Amino acid sequence: MVVYSFYIFDRHTECVYVKSWMPAQSPGTAPVLSTSSDDAKLVFGTVFSLRNMVRKLGGDDDAFISYRTGQYKLHFYETPANLRFVMVTDTGSASMRNVLHQIYINLWVEYVVKNPLAPVEHKGGAGVNNELFELGLDQFIRGMM
Amino acid sequence: MSWTPPKLIHIPRRTVFSLIIINKAGGLIYNKTFHEGGLNKISTNDYLVLAGTFHGVHAITARLNPVKPVATPPTPGTNELPGRPEPSSGLEVLETENFRMQCFNTLTGTKFLLFTETTQTNVDVTIKRIYDLYADYVMKNPFYSLEMPIRCDIFDRKLLSYIREINNR
Repeated sequence: MVVYSFYIFDRHTECVYVKSWMPAQSPGTAPVLSTSSDDAKLVFGTVFSLRNMVRKLGGDDDAFISYRTGQYKLHFYETPANLRFVMVTDTGSASMRNVLHQIYINLWVEYVVKNPLAPVEHKGGAGVNNELFELGLDQFIRGMM
Repeated sequence: MSWTPPKLIHIPRRTVFSLIIINKAGGLIYNKTFHEGGLNKISTNDYLVLAGTFHGVHAITARLNPVKPVATPPTPGTNELPGRPEPSSGLEVLETENFRMQCFNTLTGTKFLLFTETTQTNVDVTIKRIYDLYADYVMKNPFYSLEMPIRCDIFDRKLLSYIREINNR
């Protein structure tokens, strides 16, 4: 299993955390055209539209879990407070819903919510990119790969 | 002696809920519900909005591809140019708690969306068969104008009998 990237969006639709595990670009290939902030906006637009579409069709209790294309798979998990977790993996991976849920309880709640120095709103990612959270997340993801 | 409740045997239901066909411009050209109660009833206007939204999302999902497409190397010993990289496909399968949606994008950009039960199998076979029916009874209909809503009786009938066969299996 390969994890390509991971995003967290807060309830104000702002991307508060982004991390990529993409292998470094070899010098021969063309440079990547988009920046990661552009990508985060596109990812948010996609999951937001799909979530609304799913809720319209499947009822208000329905939840969008994942979508797959020929090249990658995107997993989605939303907490009751509208905090949204997104993970992009290869196509072969199974459902990552509980993994995202684990990241929420074991890392987000432990290291960001319970951190007395972190602000309530994470404007521009403030309070999220602390060492413990970064390390814990990196270890957790690398442990799965 | 204590009474034990009889074990309930869970038979997975295999149901196709509905089919949507979107033309290459993102307009809704066909919409049919086969099974009531699977999905919420929404108005035709909402279906049009949904088709347009999905068309846009599909284009974005193709662009978000983290894997850089690689060109096929030329056969060694020949003077061939390297082949064009395979274009990245957009959204193919969408999974939610209550349903599963499969999207089939034809070479000309027409999209077939099939909404089914989450446990449904062989959806790609079903969707290819629907595409066959579309090719046979819509595209070969001399009175059908391209990119316009599909109103072909025989397509409706063939589609309905095919889906009924699956839903009653």
